[in-house]
Amino acid sequence: MWKVKIALVSCGTEYSGIQKEIEKAANKFGAEIILPEIDLDYIDESYEKFGFSAQSSSLKLMIARAMAIVEGRSKPDAVFIATCFRCAEAALVRNEVRRFIQNNTRIPVVTYSFTERTKADELFIRMEALATTVTRRNILAREKQEGLTLGLDSGSTTTKAVVMENNEVIGTGWTSTKDIIESAKTAAAEAFGQTDYDWDDLDGIGTTGYGRFTMGQEFGAELIQEELSVNAKGAVYLADCQKGEATVLDIGGMDNKVITVNNGIPDNFTMGGICAGASGRFLDMTSRRLDVDITELGPLAVQGDWRKAMLNSYCIVFGIQDLVTTLAAGGSKADVAAAACHSVSEQVYEQQLQEIDIREPLIQVGGTSLISGLVKAVSETLGGIEVIVPEYSQHIGAVGAALLVSGMGHRQDNK
Amino acid sequence: MGENMVKIAVYPPNSLILADLLERRGHTPLVLQKQIRQKIKDPEIDSPPMNITEEDPIKGLKYAAIEVPSGVRGRMSIIGPIIDEAEAAIVVDGAPYGFGCIGCARTNELSIFLLRNKGIPVLELNYPTNQDETYVMVNQINEFVDSLEQTAEEE
Amino acid sequence: MSQNLTMSPDLGKEDWDPDVITRMIFIGPGAHVSEQEIVSEFHMLDLPLTIKNTCYGSMISGKSEDVYKAIEEIRKLDPNHIFTKERGFAPGDPRRCRGHRFGPREGFHQMEKEYRILGFVAEALVDEFKKIMDDCIENK
Repeated sequence: MWKVKIALVSCGTEYSGIQKEIEKAANKFGAEIILPEIDLDYIDESYEKFGFSAQSSSLKLMIARAMAIVEGRSKPDAVFIATCFRCAEAALVRNEVRRFIQNNTRIPVVTYSFTERTKADELFIRMEALATTVTRRNILAREKQEGLTLGLDSGSTTTKAVVMENNEVIGTGWTSTKDIIESAKTAAAEAFGQTDYDWDDLDGIGTTGYGRFTMGQEFGAELIQEELSVNAKGAVYLADCQKGEATVLDIGGMDNKVITVNNGIPDNFTMGGICAGASGRFLDMTSRRLDVDITELGPLAVQGDWRKAMLNSYCIVFGIQDLVTTLAAGGSKADVAAAACHSVSEQVYEQQLQEIDIREPLIQVGGTSLISGLVKAVSETLGGIEVIVPEYSQHIGAVGAALLVSGMGHRQDNK
Repeated sequence: MGENMVKIAVYPPNSLILADLLERRGHTPLVLQKQIRQKIKDPEIDSPPMNITEEDPIKGLKYAAIEVPSGVRGRMSIIGPIIDEAEAAIVVDGAPYGFGCIGCARTNELSIFLLRNKGIPVLELNYPTNQDETYVMVNQINEFVDSLEQTAEEE
Repeated sequence: MSQNLTMSPDLGKEDWDPDVITRMIFIGPGAHVSEQEIVSEFHMLDLPLTIKNTCYGSMISGKSEDVYKAIEEIRKLDPNHIFTKERGFAPGDPRRCRGHRFGPREGFHQMEKEYRILGFVAEALVDEFKKIMDDCIENK
């Protein structure tokens, strides 16, 4: 059986006790890990040529392995670049090596900074994305939607549906996730309701999100794809950033995703979900305390100044308490709303954004991207970076699935 | 020889030349390969190739704080015990380094610092690049070993 | 052939024995013995050892007592040009053998570099030996 060969470019994953986990993750998706073969002279030569003076010899080896891939001495299908979390020297080399491979080859790359606690489960989605990028390159290369397609995104809290025709979104649906299939049907019905079409008119169906397999089986989807590739694709498509670099940020109700993208293909990814203070839930609570609808929170926050509201904790329990105290002391609702947005943004930065090399533009997606105050806060947190919120940003996964499945479905051919 | 044998840590800890020169004089070079052998010969731990598990970077906390990257702590869990055992040390500056255990500059900086601050006799040398410098290195090592033997005899 | 890095090695009972050790033997430039002679000498010692010819010299594996005895004997062939060091992994261990791992093992590059000054070290040892001899003759 042919296996996807993933070259490991690292300064020593085995000294963090995670080598086995990397192997396990790769094997699960029909891939295997290889090391590019090189000799000493080649290491010295490529290190000189590359021009980064690293003190650690393993980083020299890392550079040489990247060079061997770029120069075609080693021919892997994909590259996994990994260094220790919190090592500055390795982070610099990791990013430069990543850029070097991406600028000079078409080989997909995923990067990761690990700790000894990194487990195969965390690596699965990355390895799956790498393996599918290799085996489904032609699908991911799609830049235009054609025909009539339905995209379904079954998330842990909400299910989204999008109907697309001839490169336009013509219907959208949204419902909270209960039973996966029933919720998908409800969201799809809402989307179809805005069009003159129904299930029978479709050319193809694409599914993504946690419930992608269940939905895919039920509806006979032509494309069942993990959300990393789909969301990245949907975001760059809607934001018109299909070429070059970008970062996709999704601050969710429960978990957050940050995906870095190069020419429409994801190459790094962080996901968090242990702190409600760094999630949309914090803003949901704030709007309830302020007695405003969540849709009003954003515009309110934009008018306010976060510095004027006391917020000593980012915690969803203690932080919200502080905001209540500010209100009781006569603080303005706008300032409190701004402080809440600022707090969430800071926490997302603390917990996730600093692990990844953020590239402009930042495309903010998901339901929280509609809260303008949060978008403003994210831009400020990142030093005034350009943040794009494309149309349909809350339906990103469904749009990505509808886009990617076009050209794959031929349901009308048999009729 | 024998009773006056001194346990000498060398850095780089896997150097062929350093280990060989000390062994010729009947001393025990504390080398990395022995540590590695212990790790890999434990069939109970199923994490090849190195059998470093999640536990080892935790053991490395003895030498470096939790904020230090896991790869440094994992390596220290192998190199640290050599430092603990050392009665003398030879540190060679500018030596060629391999890529595995000693491929991390931060680990090496910490290890050398710990050796220098242990209060044991330490010989510091520059890695030779030509014949004359090599002569100097071999002589310095031999003189250092002589001085260790004298001290051991006097005690 | 698998290029899997973390295969579970299928090792013999001996390979798991902590008392079984492996040493690499290098022949420095200007040596008076050949790799073949060293290997033959190892065989002649009639010790229970695994002996392997390699690109740099040879590798022996066995109970530590036997290995150290063999090393002592071998050094006598050409004391100033034979160098030896420990090896963590047994010969052919799939976790380190480049045939399986599809890439050289980590220590190899360092060994290559150290080998480049091995000739100078050998000469320094020869000189020192001469000096000691001269001193002895003078003092007599």
